[in-house]
Amino acid sequence: MDSIRFNFPAPVIDESVDRLRKDVRSFLQEESRNGSFRPGTDCWCAGIDPEFSRKLGQHGWIGVTWPKQYGGRELSALHRYVITEELLVAGAPVHAHWIADRQSGPLILATGSEEMKQSILPRIAAGECFVALGLSEPESGSDLASVRTRAHRVEGGWEITGTKLWSSGAQSCQYMTVLARTGERNEKKRHEGLTQFLVPLDSPGVTVRGIRDMSGVEHFNESHFEKVFVADDAVLGAVGEGWKQITSELALERSGPERFLSTFIALEKAIQQGAASMEGHQARVIGSILARIRALRAMSLGVAALLGQGQSPDVEAALVKDLGTRLEQDIIERLREFWPIQLKQNFGDELHYLLSDSLLRQPSFTLRGGTNEVLKGIVARGLGLR
Amino acid sequence: MEQTDQLILDTARRLFSDHSGAEVVNRAEIGQPPEALCDAVMAAGLPLAWVSENAGGVGGSLALGFNLIREAASFAMPVPLVETMVANLVLAESGLEVADSWAALVFDGGQLPVVDNGTVTGVVNNAPGVVSGSLLVVPVSDRGLIRVATFAFDSLAIEECESLAGESRARVILENAVPVQLSPVVDNMTEDGLRQFCALVRASQIAGAFEKITELTVGYVKERQQFGRPLGKFQAIQHKVADIAGESALANAAVEQAIRMLSEHPEPFSGDNVAFLPVATAKVVTSEGAATVSRLAHQSHGAMGFSFEYPLQQYSRRIWSWREEYGSEFYWSERIGKSVANDICHGRAEGGQVWDIVSR
Ligand SMILES: Cc1cc2nc3c(=O)[nH]c(=O)nc-3n(C[C@H](O)[C@H](O)[C@H](O)COP(=O)(O)OP(=O)(O)OC[C@H]3O[C@@H](n4cnc5c(N)ncnc54)[C@H](O)[C@@H]3O)c2cc1C
Repeated sequence: MDSIRFNFPAPVIDESVDRLRKDVRSFLQEESRNGSFRPGTDCWCAGIDPEFSRKLGQHGWIGVTWPKQYGGRELSALHRYVITEELLVAGAPVHAHWIADRQSGPLILATGSEEMKQSILPRIAAGECFVALGLSEPESGSDLASVRTRAHRVEGGWEITGTKLWSSGAQSCQYMTVLARTGERNEKKRHEGLTQFLVPLDSPGVTVRGIRDMSGVEHFNESHFEKVFVADDAVLGAVGEGWKQITSELALERSGPERFLSTFIALEKAIQQGAASMEGHQARVIGSILARIRALRAMSLGVAALLGQGQSPDVEAALVKDLGTRLEQDIIERLREFWPIQLKQNFGDELHYLLSDSLLRQPSFTLRGGTNEVLKGIVARGLGLR
Repeated sequence: MEQTDQLILDTARRLFSDHSGAEVVNRAEIGQPPEALCDAVMAAGLPLAWVSENAGGVGGSLALGFNLIREAASFAMPVPLVETMVANLVLAESGLEVADSWAALVFDGGQLPVVDNGTVTGVVNNAPGVVSGSLLVVPVSDRGLIRVATFAFDSLAIEECESLAGESRARVILENAVPVQLSPVVDNMTEDGLRQFCALVRASQIAGAFEKITELTVGYVKERQQFGRPLGKFQAIQHKVADIAGESALANAAVEQAIRMLSEHPEPFSGDNVAFLPVATAKVVTSEGAATVSRLAHQSHGAMGFSFEYPLQQYSRRIWSWREEYGSEFYWSERIGKSVANDICHGRAEGGQVWDIVSR
């Protein structure tokens, strides 16, 4: 970053973007009416429904920015943005394909072999193939460069041994991108010698075990790799270059609408319920939340536009996630004043269910995808302090 | 922004940094007017940024003007440039002649004075930019419709006072006052439209001040050493600076969006629903951020930031005063809450969804 001044270009919202938004909206209203899903909070992490992901794939709403030859539609990043935000605010169960659409697909596109692209990307776009992220480990969280999972060269490929922890949705995924050490560890150059692999989860030697989270959902996993063989072309990008890839992946991951809309559905229902009697203090609280959401959305769209111009707004992206995830939590804390959150059961009260579920899930918002402390460190580096 | 706009903005930036600066600002506050700066600003025609070329102005776009305002705020400009720009735009929009002196919009977001039989009566409590010799531009209510009246500084009862930051504020008392000029009813100008416009002006100023505060703080913590290293090496300080940068980025995103929305709008003073939400958003986010930004910046600066000589205080005092003007975050957030609730109740949102309103 060369300046401390933040300027966000305007997103170019043309008719096709609006039309797409309308299409997605009416599909979701229809599905919701049919009872094909129950709107849930934090749906991009808690709502796993492969069948629903397949439906989205059939509508052509996954991998929309990818080349047509790989099952994409060559639409803009803004088109994808609109699809994702409509899915989030509807509370649709989108976790199964979320990571593959957002992160693994683009990674494969940028670094995968031609054969990998041809065989996997169209299946991801069809909502039939899901990918988990294998970054964290029992001994490696924020300090990701310390991963111990190792890949050794063997004839015709690599052999991977190690344990990955917290991988979201791995139990319904066919693949995992695994960050492993391929070179000797050097304390002075900690970021070297790391490589990413695309590992089929049905390979011999892989075990995936679900972990129940505090909200009662079993969405993340511990995955063990015992001498798992992968062929040479499972390497993503260049051997030893894994760290660079991860950092650019994370910039994409950090500024999307899921970083401030995880609890929007609870807010939506609360306002709908309170609208008829909204005044004074309650109106101020609600208005203040809505203003901040609007501002964050403007900023997040601005980052998307910067990415679209080929810039790398790492600092801005980190700021979106830091501010956005705190807001997602804050929304629930502020709604408590008017809608106390006591019971886990909802007795048919939809709003209460959404609020209590949001509360039970919110500690994760400021952790996953890089903690807010780590993000502030990125900002500080961007400003030249470290 | 267009290329000519960028050119004007660059010129202004150069002019500000040549003629303004911490010392000029501080001296202006303790009684030494910044004459060279005043002359340069006038000579460059900046107060006419928003006046069309036909009417002798610069013909800059709305976006240019707001960016100029943001820039001026980041220099804590101790001259009523912003006030004069706004007053001149109101004059131009109402078909009156613009002055080549300083001008002030005698409007504080509260009730308008009333015009009856050609004379104006009312009190405006907190009018900004009313300085000796300036032309006073007073939006007045003619049975609920807006007209614009002008007065010479000397012709009215004026009680001069200062904002928290030492900027001129005045109570202007009009008692059957006879205007120099009185416009006919101005179409597409409403009291709320004026309030919204001025709120966005203040939001832009706060965003500009946030940028400067970020710059000052980053610069300071890189220089100042304690325990054998720069303060910026301490994580506690890094996190404060990151939070300041976050509020600054958010404020800018909100302000830029509102400016874009208003720029696409043919009638900037109409106060209609298209402009309301983005403008209110910008004022809420900037005003709310002022507490965070000033608290963290002062904490990071230690006692130095509390001294008059060091420039930080010029910005923290300004944002504390600007956040209250033309509606604080409390005022505008209440209006947002009520307006959204109202739209929901009256079926003005697709599918009855708050999201439909938020995402417009
Ligand atoms: C819901 C959820 C889903 C997840 N999904 C995945 C996934 O799909 N794939 C995957 O690989 N991982 C996943 N994670 C793991 C996530 O990336 C890690 O939780 C995160 O990176 C933090 O690591 P940690 O939990 O080990 O915490 P630690 O790194 O042990 O940190 C604990 C605390 O110490 C702080 N801390 C650590 N280092 C510093 C420092 N240098 N300075 C200041 N403070 C510091 C942290 O900010 C945090 O507050 C998921 C996590 C959650 C909660």
